[in-house]
Amino acid sequence: MTNFLLRCTLLAALSFGTSAAELTIKGDIAAPLVLKTEEIAQMPHETVSIPEKDGTTASYEGVPLREILKKAGVPFGKDLRGKALASYIIAKAKDGYEVVFSLGELDAAFGNESILVADKVDGKPLFDYQGPLRLVCPNDKAGARSVRMLETIELVRLQK
Amino acid sequence: MSCRIIIVLCLLVRLCPAAQLPKPRVPADNPLTPAKAELGRYLFYDTRMSVNGKQSCATCHRQELAFTDGRPVAMGATGQNHPRGAMSLVNVAYNSLLTWNNPQTRELEQQALVPMFGEHPIELGLRPDSQFFTIIRSDATYKPLFEKAFPSNADPFTISNITKAIACFERTIISARSPWDRYHYNRDETAISESAKHGEVLFFSQPLSCFRCHGGFNFSDNTMSANSQPEEPEFHNTGLKNQQGKFKAPTLRNIAVTAPYMHDGSLPTLDAVLDHYASGGHNNPDKDPLIHGFNLTPDDKKDLIEFLKALTDEAVLHDPSFANPWH
Repeated sequence: MTNFLLRCTLLAALSFGTSAAELTIKGDIAAPLVLKTEEIAQMPHETVSIPEKDGTTASYEGVPLREILKKAGVPFGKDLRGKALASYIIAKAKDGYEVVFSLGELDAAFGNESILVADKVDGKPLFDYQGPLRLVCPNDKAGARSVRMLETIELVRLQK
Repeated sequence: MSCRIIIVLCLLVRLCPAAQLPKPRVPADNPLTPAKAELGRYLFYDTRMSVNGKQSCATCHRQELAFTDGRPVAMGATGQNHPRGAMSLVNVAYNSLLTWNNPQTRELEQQALVPMFGEHPIELGLRPDSQFFTIIRSDATYKPLFEKAFPSNADPFTISNITKAIACFERTIISARSPWDRYHYNRDETAISESAKHGEVLFFSQPLSCFRCHGGFNFSDNTMSANSQPEEPEFHNTGLKNQQGKFKAPTLRNIAVTAPYMHDGSLPTLDAVLDHYASGGHNNPDKDPLIHGFNLTPDDKKDLIEFLKALTDEAVLHDPSFANPWH
C-alpha cells in the first residue's frame, strides 16, 4: 500500500513537473533565494483574469512578483531611490527566453505593476509548456513579457 | 421521442460550439439557424452545382481529410489547377480572414462566390444562368429546405441565399474533440502520450516558436470569435523554394490528415515540414524573420509530430452531421 501511494504521488508530481521545480532569484542582491514551487504555493495568492486575443479568458492565480523579490532583499519602497532606480530584473525561462522589467515598474510608488508569478490557471496547475511557474502581466497589451516556464529572476544594478 | 425531435436536437447541438471554445462570430445579416445549415449541407455536397455535374464543394473539401482534398493544389471542374491547395474548413467560423493570402476575403458568404463563379481559375464553373439555379426551384428535396431556411423571403431560391446557407453549414464544422482537447480542457492526463506532451513543450518553446504563427485555441494566426476584435491579418513568407508572396498560417487542428502541406502542397509529410522549418528555409528577400531555423533531434521531431497528431479530431472527420446527405 505504501509503495502504491508513493507511486501515485510520484506520478502526480511528474504529470505536471511540479516536484523538482524551483524559482531562483539571484544577481546583485543581498539574499539570493531559491524557492520551490511548494513554497510559492504556500504564499498569499492573488487572481487576475486575462482576456486572450481569440476571445477566451483565462484566470491566473499566483504570488505578486514584488513580494517574491522583496523576500530576496530586492529594494522596494523607501529603499528604491537614487542609484537603486537604475536597476532591472531579467526574467528567464527554461527554454532560454528572457525579458526585462525595471524595479520602478514594479514598485507601488512608481509603475505599481501587479505582475504575478502564477502557478495555476483556471484553478488548475499550469501545463508543462506554460509552467510550473509563469509570469502574468495584466497591464501589458501584448503577452510577450508573460514569461512561461519561468526559472530564474536576476537583478542587475546599473549604478552602485 | 420522435425522430423529428431527435434530428432538431442534433441540429441545435451542431450550432453550439464545444463548451471550451468561444462563440464564433456570425454576420448580423446571416444568423445561424439549423434550417439554413441543413440546406447548406445539401448544397455543399450537390454535384449538380458545377459545370460538369460531377463536382461540388465537397470535392475539394472532403470530410475524412478535415475538409481538404489530399492534392498539392486543387483542381476545378474543367481540369484547371488552382495555384494553391484547398484549405481546411474545420473551425473556419473562427477565421478572421479566408483563403491563403487575400486580406479582403473575410466572410464565408462572400468567399463562396469565388469557387462558384470564379474564372481564374475555374472551380465549379457556374454562371448566373446555370441550370442549377433553375433546378433548385422545382427539386423535391430543395423546395422545402429553402422555404424552411428562408421563410420570410418571397423568393428564397436566390444565389445570395445559397451562399448564406453554405456559409451557415461551414460555420457548424467545429473541431474540439481531439485528444489534445481532452488533455487540455478536460485535464485527461491519459488523452495524449508523454511524447506528445514533450512535443507540446517544444512547439511552445522559444527556439522553435511554432506558436508565434500557430497560436491560440485554433493554432492559427487569424483567429477571432464573437468576443474578440478583428485585427490586421498577418501574412508570412515561409521560405519555400521560389516562393513569392506571403500567406496566412492556417489552423493546425487535424493537420495530420491534411497532407500535402504548405500553400502549394510542396511538402508531402509533416516530417518534411519540420525539416523545412528546422533548416531555416530557402533564402528569399521576403522570408519572414520568424523562419530562422533550429536544432531538432530525431526524438524531438518524433515528439513534435506526436503532438501534432494529437490535434486530430476523429469525431469531426466522421460526424454524420457533416456528411453527404444525398447518400
